[in-house]
Amino acid sequence: MILTDEEKRMLDGQYGDLVRKSMKILVALGEIYGAEKMLDINNVHSPGVSYRVAGDAGLNFVKDASVAGRFEVPVTLNTIGIDSENWEELGFPRCFALKQLELLQAYHTMGAISTYTCTPYLVGNIPLRGEHVAWGESSAIAFVNSVLGARTNREGGPSALAAGITGKVPAYGYHLDENRKGKYLFKVDIDLKTDRDFAVLGYFAGKIAGTDVPVFEGIKRRPTLENLKALSAAVASSGAVALYHIVGVTPEAPTTEAVIGKQEPIRFGKKEYEEVVAKFSLEGDIDFVVTGCPHCSINEVRRVAQLLAGKKVKADFWICTSRQVKTLADKMGYTEIIREAGAQIVCDTCPVLAPTSSKGYKKLVTNSAKLAHYAPGLWNLKTGLIEIEDCVEAAIKGYWGGKV
Amino acid sequence: MNTKVIKGRKIVEGIAEGEALVTKEPISFMGSINPKTGYVIERGHEIEGQCLKGKVLVFPRAKGSTGGSYMLYDVVKNGVGPVGIVNVEADSVVVIGAIVADLPMVDKIDIGEIETGDYVVVDGNNGVVKVQKRDNDTMGD
Repeated sequence: MILTDEEKRMLDGQYGDLVRKSMKILVALGEIYGAEKMLDINNVHSPGVSYRVAGDAGLNFVKDASVAGRFEVPVTLNTIGIDSENWEELGFPRCFALKQLELLQAYHTMGAISTYTCTPYLVGNIPLRGEHVAWGESSAIAFVNSVLGARTNREGGPSALAAGITGKVPAYGYHLDENRKGKYLFKVDIDLKTDRDFAVLGYFAGKIAGTDVPVFEGIKRRPTLENLKALSAAVASSGAVALYHIVGVTPEAPTTEAVIGKQEPIRFGKKEYEEVVAKFSLEGDIDFVVTGCPHCSINEVRRVAQLLAGKKVKADFWICTSRQVKTLADKMGYTEIIREAGAQIVCDTCPVLAPTSSKGYKKLVTNSAKLAHYAPGLWNLKTGLIEIEDCVEAAIKGYWGGKV
Repeated sequence: MNTKVIKGRKIVEGIAEGEALVTKEPISFMGSINPKTGYVIERGHEIEGQCLKGKVLVFPRAKGSTGGSYMLYDVVKNGVGPVGIVNVEADSVVVIGAIVADLPMVDKIDIGEIETGDYVVVDGNNGVVKVQKRDNDTMGD
């Protein structure tokens, strides 16, 4: 790897031990993946901010860093393990919350921006096409690469921290043109309408594509931002997809030929759709309903508020979102409608990253493939992946009949 | 002694050895593993219920959350993690976790050559994996 004189000084320890260690991580990655040089970045989204993820090892890692230095470039923070302003009322365990707050303090000391969301692109961190960035959060990585056309690899907590300290990333992987072409071509043969439809497609494709780039053709209806958010989360849960292309929709794929060579497409039709849905089918008494994985946009909060208006829920119902979107929801009166119905807007966190609830939930329904994928292992829940209207109905009745 | 030497690519330096725990399914250290106990908790995973402690963990590739880097670091720091990693294709999330946890790691290995219970040496300095098959002759020793 060829380093500039300045980068060599960083690696030699002339800017202190934290910069030296950070460069060491980045150079190690660069050497493994055959990077020829470093790239300058001015934008990081840091994962590993939940204490559930970081653990004591991660907490000490970040605390040590915060004593030694500051972020050189803007760093937004991913979803955390508690609602930072409402954790006591929501019943998050105190010992966990205190550790979480300690971890946040360390990030704040370094100058991070307190977004606490998996949707930084909804709250102002919107890199432009071709911009090199260092992002964590698997769903946000897929979104920023695919939908916005910016360029990032799948950064974990320590490498995002190193990138924030140095303002550098090694030039490999998705930073380079030659690695942004498609590998697997999917032909979508059904009309995708809802966020769940896109989540199902993503879950199907992620399992096949693994770490490679899927290309989708045949999607006729122009997807909404929320559709793409759901697709990005799903494709990075069943697989490790960091980039996908939708022909005629995403910026790097004006045509199929522009992103992938000629090949026999993999069909995604009714049968394939129903196979994924069957994996997450569930019926009976429902005690937990969650939407907002990734965090709800204001449009999604509004939809839930409309469906809940004048009703009462039997099951616990979390609408997970960022603090910034909740502020909007407060202004628009949605928060009040949701509270009246007995449901809750939960900020900063989600069941993927929060500690297991002490309430002993047994069955969860959600419209998120990502949450449906992780909740059985992380929270010991049976999960159903259903439409948002059905989630609200299940919350109201405390029961779900299991129709697809 | 039936030892097979498989040449791969060095990812993280260092040498580790132990019994292999092999799966043909991808792993997400965030979600598949409990970092406090080292057990695999992902429902329906091929090695659900197995413990990583002291094992050379052999799997094709990573999947899922970028939280996996810290969770790999955490499971190792908690003393219940693997001692080395062998992959078909290394994903950056696991690589970063392995770097900060000082976990020897090699990829570009045909993992079909390794079975759970084989004794494996991961040589991250040379990018080599040495596999000593479970030898039926020594079972009664």
